Amino acid sequence: MKILERPLLKNKTSATGILLFIVLGVLPFAAAFIYALLYSFGLVGVISSGFTTEFWVSVIKTGSFFKSLGYSAAIAGIAVFLSVVIALWLTLKFKSALENKFILMMVYMPLAIPGLATAFFIIQLLAKGGFLSRISYASRLINESNEFPDLVNDNLALGIILAFLTMIIPFFMLLFLNVYKNERIEDLRILAYSLGATSRQVRNKVVLPILLKKTRVLIALYFIFLLGSYEVPLILGQESPQMISVLVIQELKQYDLDKIPEGYVVAVMYTIIVAIAAVFLFLPRKREQYV
Amino acid sequence: MYKNWRAYVLPFLVLLVLFPFTYLLFLSLSGAWYYPDVLPKYFGLRNWRTILSSETGLLQSFLMSTGISLAVAIVSTLSGFFISKTVYYHPHKRILNLLAYLPYILAPVVFAACLSYFFLKLGLFGNVTGVITAQFLISFPYALIFFSSFWNERIKNYENLVSTLGGNTLDRYFKVLFPLAKGLLLVCFFQTYLISWFEYGLTSIIGVGKVQTITIKVFMFIKEANYFYGALSCCLLIFPPVVLLYINKKYVFKKIA
Repeated sequence: MKILERPLLKNKTSATGILLFIVLGVLPFAAAFIYALLYSFGLVGVISSGFTTEFWVSVIKTGSFFKSLGYSAAIAGIAVFLSVVIALWLTLKFKSALENKFILMMVYMPLAIPGLATAFFIIQLLAKGGFLSRISYASRLINESNEFPDLVNDNLALGIILAFLTMIIPFFMLLFLNVYKNERIEDLRILAYSLGATSRQVRNKVVLPILLKKTRVLIALYFIFLLGSYEVPLILGQESPQMISVLVIQELKQYDLDKIPEGYVVAVMYTIIVAIAAVFLFLPRKREQYV
Repeated sequence: MYKNWRAYVLPFLVLLVLFPFTYLLFLSLSGAWYYPDVLPKYFGLRNWRTILSSETGLLQSFLMSTGISLAVAIVSTLSGFFISKTVYYHPHKRILNLLAYLPYILAPVVFAACLSYFFLKLGLFGNVTGVITAQFLISFPYALIFFSSFWNERIKNYENLVSTLGGNTLDRYFKVLFPLAKGLLLVCFFQTYLISWFEYGLTSIIGVGKVQTITIKVFMFIKEANYFYGALSCCLLIFPPVVLLYINKKYVFKKIA
């Protein structure tokens, strides 16, 4: 009997598939980037008057982009670092409890709360007129709302970081739990113990390296997601500096038409950084990926 | 001593998880809650009753968001499934995979701002079709990447087996591929539904405030400092994901078992 091997990608269906991928997946991104690039050089747009680098020079001189990028990277970095540490600790400490269906459901539950609702809840909880402030007043810890510390829209971005933590710790816990099972880390732990390893050695040389190596791409991906986060910093952030997405939209929505190209400069710079990060994360061969 | 300490931490964490849900529900049922009162002066169903009136249009927003998210989830899941097959069997799949990631990891709001010119030119600005299209553009790459692990040698061999035994394209899809991918299709549908349901920035740019999805309403109430309606719309925003999460999680449990 003749074995029929279907000639993949050599037929019309495959060509249509690639064409659709380009039209739906690649073209919109390329069009958006090229339009923003042209706008940033004054080649398109309402006030377009031919090629100019003045908007790029202006953005670089004022340093608003770099300040915002540094601020966003610091917030995203702190949030991801703390989330990974807390999630690792909780997963490893409460591993057996997480087998319980109710406890596991509790880990899933926060995933149902979007960033917008998380930010709203944190405002309600931590603002000067919020729930904690009311409790502090009732407990005579403060005498008026102004005495309550700035925990939202503050300089240290505490509100934003707290919102990010509540949003991604459960996700990382589920991820680590999944990798723990799939990579049979429990078996490896027992093996290491039987070979005479101490608890510290098992944790530092077996458990943590496997968990972190298998999840590093996704951890980096979450850093990029938080870097471009919009709703949470829009509600919980301060006037200046702002996180990158908030800055882009604020520049693009200005009434001063001369400033709009500067918004596109920021958008182009941000897109280039994200694209470079994507190349580093997803182009190398044999890289483990978790989607 | 150590065990005792752990026994207290776990219930505390459970309470911590449940607190936002309880607090938002409590706030949605409250009224006349002035500083520094720890409890509101009014507690009842007054705010919820307004959902049924046209005063806030929340019910319409809820239904509209449901419709938009269903449309985005169905189209993204199906197109992602079919197109990912071509992409991940392609000899240059690494490059194609990278290209798929670009729109996925870019902030949706920035993507929308840069695309808004084209939406304006195509007559897709400020209407539901535009919002569905824009949300599709960010959930399609997700679906595409989601199915990347499905297409492998084993699946290819199954397909070849069906062809060898005389099956046609419909047989391959309905008797092999769909039954094998049923679970993944379901999870991808839930995930893309949630991407759409949670979306605010992109919707606000492309919908220009005319397409008032539930997230747009939440933000509007926050800006107006109408916290009771804000909490109520948050409850509506959270309820469907909780239901979906329960169904989705149950499925994941089954798969692991």
